[in-house]
Order: sequence, then structure tokens, then C-alpha cells
Amino acid sequence: MNSIFEIDNLNLHYDDFQALKDINIRIEKNKVTALIGPSGCGKSTFLRCLNRMNDLIDSCKITGEIEFKEENIYTSNYDVISLRTKVGMVFQKPNPFPMSIYDNVAYGPRCQGIKDKNILDEIVATSLKSSALYEEVRDRIKESALSLSGGQQQRLCIARAIAMEPEVILMDEPTSALDPIATLRIEELMNELKKKYTIIIVTHSMHQAARISDNTAFFLMGELIEFDKTNKIFTTPKNQKTEDYITGRFG
Amino acid sequence: MLNKRNIIDIIYQVITYLAASVGVIALSMIIFFVFSNGLKLLNFGLLVNDYHAEFYNGGIDDPIFTFSHRPISLDDKVFYSQKWGIGLVDSKDREGNPIIIIEYISGDSPLLEIYDKNNEESKEIIGIDKGFLVSKISYYDKNTSLTMYGAESMINDIESTNEIREIVFSSLGGGIRGSIITTLYLISITIIIALPIGISTAIYLNEFSSKNRLTSLLRSLIETLTGVPSIIFGLLGLAVFVPLTIRFSEATSANIVSGSLTLSVILLPIIIKSTEESLKVVPDSFRSASLALGANHTQTTLKVVLPSAFPGIMTGTLLAIGRIIGESAALIFAIGTAVKDDISIFGKSTTLSVHIWSLMKDEPANIELASTIAIVILLIVLTLNIIVKLISKRFIKEF
Repeated sequence: MNSIFEIDNLNLHYDDFQALKDINIRIEKNKVTALIGPSGCGKSTFLRCLNRMNDLIDSCKITGEIEFKEENIYTSNYDVISLRTKVGMVFQKPNPFPMSIYDNVAYGPRCQGIKDKNILDEIVATSLKSSALYEEVRDRIKESALSLSGGQQQRLCIARAIAMEPEVILMDEPTSALDPIATLRIEELMNELKKKYTIIIVTHSMHQAARISDNTAFFLMGELIEFDKTNKIFTTPKNQKTEDYITGRFG
Repeated sequence: MLNKRNIIDIIYQVITYLAASVGVIALSMIIFFVFSNGLKLLNFGLLVNDYHAEFYNGGIDDPIFTFSHRPISLDDKVFYSQKWGIGLVDSKDREGNPIIIIEYISGDSPLLEIYDKNNEESKEIIGIDKGFLVSKISYYDKNTSLTMYGAESMINDIESTNEIREIVFSSLGGGIRGSIITTLYLISITIIIALPIGISTAIYLNEFSSKNRLTSLLRSLIETLTGVPSIIFGLLGLAVFVPLTIRFSEATSANIVSGSLTLSVILLPIIIKSTEESLKVVPDSFRSASLALGANHTQTTLKVVLPSAFPGIMTGTLLAIGRIIGESAALIFAIGTAVKDDISIFGKSTTLSVHIWSLMKDEPANIELASTIAIVILLIVLTLNIIVKLISKRFIKEF
């Protein structure tokens, strides 16, 4: 198994509350891994550990090891900025910056110090093409990103993440704020993207997990209950709790 | 049919309407009062003239008369002397006292040769012009003509004489140019000092500082500062900034810089507060999106957070400028009340608001001129308001 993330004995506390309990998981490279579970089970928290976005929360304490490409990212001298360029993130609500479409996509590369206009043009065009947005916005690339529809905005956010040429894209319920058609487009896009990138997606929709993911992890009350191939989880779960959840008996 | 709920609803609506109209009425009353009192004095001359009239004692030896004719364009109210080629008219100054103004002076008038009698050796020619005030003309052979006898009698007197012993005239004072310039200086210097410090502090407090005892102490101190009456800041200015500027510059008394420094201290809490408020409303999703893209904290703040907060910061700045223009209590100490015409930033001078104060403290108070200055202040505030609105609008349009 070719794993890109190796997580050992991960525990996470918000002050007195333990949000993640002793998580051990291997995330496979160039696969889509879905994280499912009821609200408040810790799956988003877990996702945010992978690019250290939890650092922003003062009360958050983490123990255990997360190895990204065989390097522990929770050591004090680890370069968080470069981690985040390799591990991109797409959020629940589309959150484009109040700038033009072009500037949104070029934001990340510019922050890394790329100033050459030709290179930026190239990056913007490829990223928009990879996120299947290019044809729709090519004529108004200098217009405000806020003029796009919700689904287009979310694809723009994916383009923005792709522009950094990451190895992993974390998606935190990327379709929960979108209508079914926009959702379908994002799912198609993910199928395209997994050829190049490792995708880890948090989702509330069991159907979505079944449709798009290769592996599925089931979280409950901060614990990783079961992690396996998606078809195994959805057809022959080993754990009774998993079966109860995916058959809709609770959650 | 009206039930109880509808009646309560109507009562609430009436209360809101009444409350709103009280505000509107108060505002219109202020504007009505200021305009009805001050509008008649408002003219361009007021804005560009000196406040202090310049007095001259003019003398003239061996005048050469040319007898130029009265120009047809001259108004009937103007009294004209053919011999001296000068037209005078009765008028009133900004305090309402009668004055005689030179309305016309012909190109070959002998009066153009008047020299400064206070400077007997050089006999420097004063160069009198239209708009000057003639207050007194004295002769060798008869009684002095004075302003109180009117322009007609003055013209009759000089028309019947060939020699003038002394002619006293002055420029028309009462202008507020000096105070306008001081106000503009004060605005610029204060904003240059207070805005960077205030915005940086707000950014530190809202974006970088961790929530600990020190920052919460800092916050509550800043909030306390907002409530301190401005006259106490004036005392601070007098005790700290005035000696400081005297020590380190050519200033010898309270000056524009000491006033600006005092105002900066007054404005800091206002700017910090309003900037922080506008930083707070920037959605956290922008910050996380930027950080998730590998931007560091500074890049996130400068490229995403500050631009989004810009319109709010501009509004805060506008409020600050309004405060600068309106402040008088603190400035009485920190900049002084001397109305001046030659403005330098290390010299004495005073702002429009303090100018109003010094006009109103005299007995009798000059309400007309004070109201006129109030109109000027209102116009400046209105102009700034429009400018800021335009800038913000343009900035928002870019997105």
C-alpha cells in the first residue's frame, strides 16, 4: 500500500473536550478517501489536522504523529507554509476572495513570489481548465469572482487550490451548499482530479461517499470505527455501528 | 377591524416616526440657524482675505491732476471725484460697522502715487487698489473727513482741495483664510500621524495578538481613552506636546504640530476602534482560505483582510476628520486661540472651530461671522464626505 499520510495515535483536545481519540489510519496516494460520520464526530477536525489548520484555534492540543510523506508535520520546526502548499484545502462554503477570477487563482502562486505575468497566465489557464471552469469564464476572467454562481465559485476554489500544484486536496463537505446539478459537476471533477491528486473528502452524503470514493473511514464520537475499501464498508461492514449508520438507523 | 396587536403595532410605528423626525428637525434647525445668520456674509473674499486689516498712513506730495471722467459702468451709489480719479462707496464691514470702500480708481489717478508715511526716507509707494478701506483723510486747510460722515462728504471734501496731508486706509480684514489653512494643515498632519499608528494597532489587536491578559488590558485602556473629555487631552497637549515642540523645533509657543499631536492622541482610540470593527466583519473564511493556500499571516492581512476592511476604515477616517474639524476644547490649549494670517506649522494660529469660539467669547459676540464660519465648516465636512464615498464606491466597484 502506497500511503501519503500515516497517522499514529492521534489525540486532539479542545480544552477539556477530547475531539479525536487515538486515531490510526493510512491514507492511500492518488485515491479518494471519504470521511463519513454524524455531525460532531470529529471528521472535519481530523481533516484540518492534515494541513495544520487547527493551529489557528488556541485551545486545540494535539498529541500523536501525523506523517506526511514520512515526515512528522507536528514537529516545531516543520515548515507549515510549505505543507499547506502541498496539501490544499476546499471549504464547505465557497469562499472566493472579493477579487477578480484571475486574481483568485493567481493568489497562491503570487504569495509564493511568482510575479512573471506569463507564468501566472499559464497557471491560471491550466488550473481553470483542470477544474472545468475555463470554458464558462474565459471571457470574464477579470470580473469579480463574486459574480459567479455557487457551483462555479466552488470550482473556482478548487482551481485556486490546484494552482498551487498540491499533492493532496482536502475537501470539507464541498458540495453541502450546492444544488444537485452543481454537486454532480464537482463529483465528476473529483473523478478527473484523482488521477493526479490524492483527495480526502468529508461528506454527509453516504451516496456521495459510495459514488466517488475508493476508501471510506467511519468516525463516531471522535473515534475511527472502521476504515476499509468503500465497497466493503457499504456492503459488508465489520462493525455493527457502521452498519447501523449506513443503513440509517441513527445519525 | 383593529385588534390589540394592530394597535400596538401602530403605536410602535408612530414612536419610531416621531423619534426619526426629532433627528431631522434638530438637523434642519441647525442648518436653518446657521444659514439664516451667516449666509449674507459668505462670499469668496471672506475665504481668501486676511483676518487682520493692514493699516497704512499714506502721504502725497505735489499731485498731478488728470481729470479723468467718471466711467459709465460705475454704479449710481458710487461717489466719484474727477480731480482725484477715485470712486468711493458706503458699505458695512463684517462686524456691521459703517465703512467706506474704494470702488474704482482710474489708471492715471494721482492717488496711485501715495507713499507710506511711516517710512519717510524710502517713500515707498503703497499701491492702493480697489477694495481698500478709506478711514480718514486729513487736509492742511480744513477739517478731516471721517468714515462717519459718509462717502459723499468725503468725495466733496477732496474734490474741493488740492492738497492732502494724510490719507489713512486699510485692507478689508475679517477674512478666514488663515483659519482655513490651519484647519487643513491640522487635518493632514493629524491624519498622517494617527492613521498609520491607529490602523497598525488595530491590526495587531485583531489579527496577530493572542488573547491574553495584556491585550485585554490594552483594549480596555483604549476604550477608557475614548471616554476621556477632550479638554483633558488639551491639558496633556499643553503639558507635553507644546514643550516638546518648543524644545525640538523653532516653535516658541503652542503651534500646529503640538495641536496635531494632541489631536492624534484623541483620534487614536477612535481610529483603532473603527478599524477593529471593520476588521472583525471580514469573514474568517477569507483568512482560512488564504492560509490554506500557503500564504503567511502578513500576506493574508495585507492582501485579503485589509482590502476587505478598506471601506470601513475609510468611514472611520472620515469620522476622525470630522472630529478634527469640530474639536475646539482641546485645541484652545494645544494650538492657541490667536487668529493669524501667515501660517507656518510651527507658528501660532487657530482652526475654524476655535475661531468661532474666539468670535463668540467677545462682547458683543459676532454671531453672523461665527455662523458664516459654521457654513464653511459644514461645506468642508460635506465635501470630504462626498470624496470618501466616491473613493469607497470606486474601490468596491473594482471587485
